[in-house]
Amino acid sequence: MIPTWPFLRLLYAVALALGLTLWPAAAAASAQMLHIRSAQVTHGGGPVPHLGEPGATVTLPDDWSDSRPGYAGVVNYRVEFEPSSPLQSGDLLALYITHVCSNLEVFLNGQLVHGGGRMVEPVTHNCNHPQLVSLPSALIGPGSNTLDIRVTGHRLAEVGSQQRDGGLSALAIGPMSELAVQHARRTALQVSAPQAVSATLLLMGGFMFVMGFINRRESHLAYFGALSVGWAIVDARLWLRTLPVSHSVAEFLLCSMLGFITWAAVQFLLRYAGSRQRWVDLALPMQCALLPLSLVLAGPARLHWVANVWYAVLALQVLAAAVWHLWREGHRRSVWLMATMLLTVVVAGTIEFAAQWGGTRPLAAHLAELALPVVFVLVGLRLVQQQGRALHHAEQGKARLEQRVREATAEIERNFRQMSELRVEQVTERERKRIAADLHDDLGAKLLTIVHTSDSERISTLAREALEEMRLSVRGLTGKAVRLADALGDWRAEVVSRLGQAGIECEWQAPEDLPQRLSSRAYVQTTRILREATSNIIKHSKAARCDIRCSINDGDLQFVLQDDGEGISAEVEGRLDQGHGLASMKNRAKQLQGQCLVESGAGQGTVIRLTVPLDRAIEAS
Amino acid sequence: MKTILLLEDLPEIRAWLRKLVLQVFPGAVISESARVQDAIELVKAVKFELALVDLGLPDGSGVDVVKQLRDSQPDAQSVVVTIHDDDEHLFPALQAGAFGYILKEQPRELITEQLQRISQGEPPLSPSIARRVMAYFSAKAKPQANPHNAMPNVSLTDRESEVLLRVAKGYTLPEIGVQLGLSRHTIADYVKQIYRKLNVSSRAEAALEAQRMGLFR
Repeated sequence: MIPTWPFLRLLYAVALALGLTLWPAAAAASAQMLHIRSAQVTHGGGPVPHLGEPGATVTLPDDWSDSRPGYAGVVNYRVEFEPSSPLQSGDLLALYITHVCSNLEVFLNGQLVHGGGRMVEPVTHNCNHPQLVSLPSALIGPGSNTLDIRVTGHRLAEVGSQQRDGGLSALAIGPMSELAVQHARRTALQVSAPQAVSATLLLMGGFMFVMGFINRRESHLAYFGALSVGWAIVDARLWLRTLPVSHSVAEFLLCSMLGFITWAAVQFLLRYAGSRQRWVDLALPMQCALLPLSLVLAGPARLHWVANVWYAVLALQVLAAAVWHLWREGHRRSVWLMATMLLTVVVAGTIEFAAQWGGTRPLAAHLAELALPVVFVLVGLRLVQQQGRALHHAEQGKARLEQRVREATAEIERNFRQMSELRVEQVTERERKRIAADLHDDLGAKLLTIVHTSDSERISTLAREALEEMRLSVRGLTGKAVRLADALGDWRAEVVSRLGQAGIECEWQAPEDLPQRLSSRAYVQTTRILREATSNIIKHSKAARCDIRCSINDGDLQFVLQDDGEGISAEVEGRLDQGHGLASMKNRAKQLQGQCLVESGAGQGTVIRLTVPLDRAIEAS
Repeated sequence: MKTILLLEDLPEIRAWLRKLVLQVFPGAVISESARVQDAIELVKAVKFELALVDLGLPDGSGVDVVKQLRDSQPDAQSVVVTIHDDDEHLFPALQAGAFGYILKEQPRELITEQLQRISQGEPPLSPSIARRVMAYFSAKAKPQANPHNAMPNVSLTDRESEVLLRVAKGYTLPEIGVQLGLSRHTIADYVKQIYRKLNVSSRAEAALEAQRMGLFR
């Protein structure tokens, strides 16, 4: 579901690169290298170059918390050395100090050769910076040379971390070329890498804070951003040498920051798991206020002790939050990634914690210190990846939604169109029915009255025909398409029964089960034509027999009405045309895009051929 | 002596019809009415043997009078006399119990003949009415969606269906008699049966509908 493999590969690549660049190569045991593991010390700042009388001898590394607990100020270390063998031409002799806290000055045979910064408050912090001091050849005598190292430092009780307690590591004197390599490695590990990671963390944290702040539903991002930025600030102590505030204030601020970092970390873990606890929301800011208050109350002299208690408390909170987070998120497939990250943090934290009690810092402590921000960067990248993916999903969802909206809109428009068409149809239908009813009630009643009250048979017949016409018109007005089979049934019933009543023998032939439909107009017109033709046969032909054949040819409906009557002579046709209604029959057929042909001659009977195109007749509906 | 109800709103036509009826049934006692309400009152008060009912009346439809007659005087014969020849108007009247119909504008001789036929039990049947009846019964034959539908199973016999089908195709009743080898009288009996079944079935349907409305009210 979530492709974690690329991310895992990235993680390994980062770890590998770090290991390769930072792992200090086992120091090549050079014959020319001089390792100094003891020195004579005097306390207090004497005038230069007379640094006081040589005092007791101490072994190096000298941790002040062990050798002179409670001491703060300046300690002078004096070392005698003889350059063991001539150096290669062009190479310099150098002094390499892996750890000195807080600051140092180096004198060679009484001459100042190196100063690390301010020796009085605010003291420059060089605790995390390995020192490489070149020893000028001109000052080195052939025999014994004196190296004085003035170290200023603070007592353990006043610092938040063992690392920043006063002290001096073992010294190494040897060729500059060799020592420079070691120095560069250590600087990279302890200064440059934390610097780079801090900068990354600061940038990323700021970005994520803004992102989380804008989108309140993603509040875990804001907390993670705060955590990253806070950690970047705390980490700044590793490479920031001079602060514009005194040592005790700097230590106080640094410890206070941890409260905020814990706040951010715990909240991030809770919110990331999708949970929000009101009491946690309240308790953490209160703790942030309580922490500096307790430090102030305890005073600078007990800072180390109080800070360590707080470290434990805060670490336990973060641990609890981490466990809770993993428990809540345990069902997710991607949880192992977060678990790995949290485990790394726990391991790094444990190493860091252990290093607090172990004197000079081992390499592992430095690596652990570096691992934490790296883990933060990785988690940050992971969050950005998730966010990006969520954005991608959201955009896809939006596109789908837009598509659906478009479809729905089209559907609605289509429905609306159909409805309005339907409505028009309904209104038309209602109007037709109203007109039909009006015609029947009004015109129909009057015609009927004429039919039955007129004394003239001619007028009665005319009115009756007018009534029939009206009925047909109304039918054409209101009617729907008629099945051709039904129409044929109606026509047959009318024509056959009328001819039968007139005593004319009749033969009707028509195909059965026709699927076609006829528009009501075509039905009505064809009915009129057939009715007229039948009337003509009854009234004028004097026929004894009539054959009617109906067929479908090439999509045309064809009627052939053949009688054995007198027929119509040409002159009679011209004269009686109106009476016979032949013209109106032809006209009606023409209206249906068909035709009506009358073939007749005197004494030959009459043949009427009626053709009505079916497809157009249907179209007309 | 025949008692006849004549419901017609046009005075001239009513007078003309009265004359015609008296020709067909000499000595008949004719009660005239121009309104549906009056006719219904008459039906409640007087016993009729025959009723000639117009459909389109100023205060309603003659179908209501046909229904009233059917319910209160089942022996009375209702005949629709109308200028509507379409099944849309005629079919409901036939369902309501009308036994045949006469188109008003027809010549006197034709109406006289039809009236005689009807009173002798030979009602007319047009192709479009036949199609409506066929459609009605075939829709009823389909399985009912409502399982509680306790409709009396009124259905047409094969012969009745056959007659209907032929009427729908445009064959006249004498022609059908020849085709099926039956007498004109037998064919007329089939048509009468078809009318009766249509009425019985429609009545049951209406009763059921009324009952359903009562249940849901």
